[in-house]
Amino acid sequence: MPFDPVAYAIPVFVAMILGELIWSRRTGAGHAYEWRDTGTSLAIGLGSTIAGALTGGLTVALLVATHDISPFAIGWVWWAWPLCFVLDDLAYYVFHRSAHRVRWFWASHVNHHSSQHYNLSTALRQSWTGFFALSFIFRLPLALAGFEPGMILVCAGLNLIYQFWIHTEVVKRLPRWFEAVMNTPSHHRVHHAVNARYLDRNYAGTFIVWDRMFGTFAAEDGEDRIRYGIVNQLGTFNLAYAVFHEWLGMARDVWHAPWRHKLSYLWRVPGWSHDGSRETSDMIRQRWQRSRSSQDSQ
Amino acid sequence: MDGVAPQFLGSLLAVAALVALTYIMGFRQAGKLESEAEARELFRLAPGGFEPADLALDHDGAAAIARDEQGRVAVLVPHGNQFVVRPVKGGAAITARGGSLLIADMPRLRLHLGDNARHWVGTRARGWATTDSNANSG
Repeated sequence: MPFDPVAYAIPVFVAMILGELIWSRRTGAGHAYEWRDTGTSLAIGLGSTIAGALTGGLTVALLVATHDISPFAIGWVWWAWPLCFVLDDLAYYVFHRSAHRVRWFWASHVNHHSSQHYNLSTALRQSWTGFFALSFIFRLPLALAGFEPGMILVCAGLNLIYQFWIHTEVVKRLPRWFEAVMNTPSHHRVHHAVNARYLDRNYAGTFIVWDRMFGTFAAEDGEDRIRYGIVNQLGTFNLAYAVFHEWLGMARDVWHAPWRHKLSYLWRVPGWSHDGSRETSDMIRQRWQRSRSSQDSQ
Repeated sequence: MDGVAPQFLGSLLAVAALVALTYIMGFRQAGKLESEAEARELFRLAPGGFEPADLALDHDGAAAIARDEQGRVAVLVPHGNQFVVRPVKGGAAITARGGSLLIADMPRLRLHLGDNARHWVGTRARGWATTDSNANSG
């Protein structure tokens, strides 16, 4: 296995969570944490490291195989590192957008969003089923472009480490230039919000510029209090349910759907239903906009 | 695989220590709805939309019940120190006992509404459209 920066960052993650707990206690932010929620988040995080250890070898093999058939070989030249990091972040943006817009990928990603809290422990709610969901395909183009598999994995690890510290309400706003280019706690709070105005926005990993470029950016506006989680809040701290509930729900929907609609429950946007009985995030936003317009006109 | 087991055990210990610390530091209080406005805001986040026309808050802020203009009924139930909206099934019996409101299909829920509990007794909740599967992202 190549060098894994995430493994070395874990003690820092623990220390930062400790610091956030103390800060929350001292400032009276009593709702920032909840001990069972923290337990679920950390257990999901621990489980994800096991899942990663079990499937990491396969991911490496796939990257190596793809790199081997590539007509390009960039090698380990110094300039490849920043280029690889930026392109990996673009690949992450595409992955992450798909993870919210295709139910198959959402089933794997949803546990990252299933907490109603937004703190550093939430960051560790990582997928157990990412490999099964084929999430690795989003990084294969980098290997095909000639980047070394080890370099891609290190950049992916650094990207994941960057995303840890933005899962906090402690940091409000950062200097304007930083907010313009980088993903920040403010931008990522929007991403974890269930408020209609914020649904399916700010998919960025490290650089928020992708959202600005591709029209998925929303700024935190402070008009109403951000509520975190998922539209259908779980209402349980059950670890297995938190990890697998969407897979079960999707399987149930496919089972019960008419034949011609079965596949649609896998690849269409979460919330889609063949009989229109549910709402997608676009429908929720439209309903909210209609409600707002009618209030304004009264 | 050398080093994997110690790393896992170390992580497991760290997880247990952090959870214990979170508990010890007092992050174990039940959720409390501060006002009807807050409850109304949370009801509006219900899947499929829900605009309360009639709303009652538990005396301790531990829960809330609301009815919309279509006759659908929903409750806010505590989940840790947060709340989740739960639809009340169509036709579910709503009864009062000593100032507390009880809902047939939610045996663990008890809303302390005082005299206001009687206002909700006999409410015939209209059914909700299917919302059982997770809609979409946060």
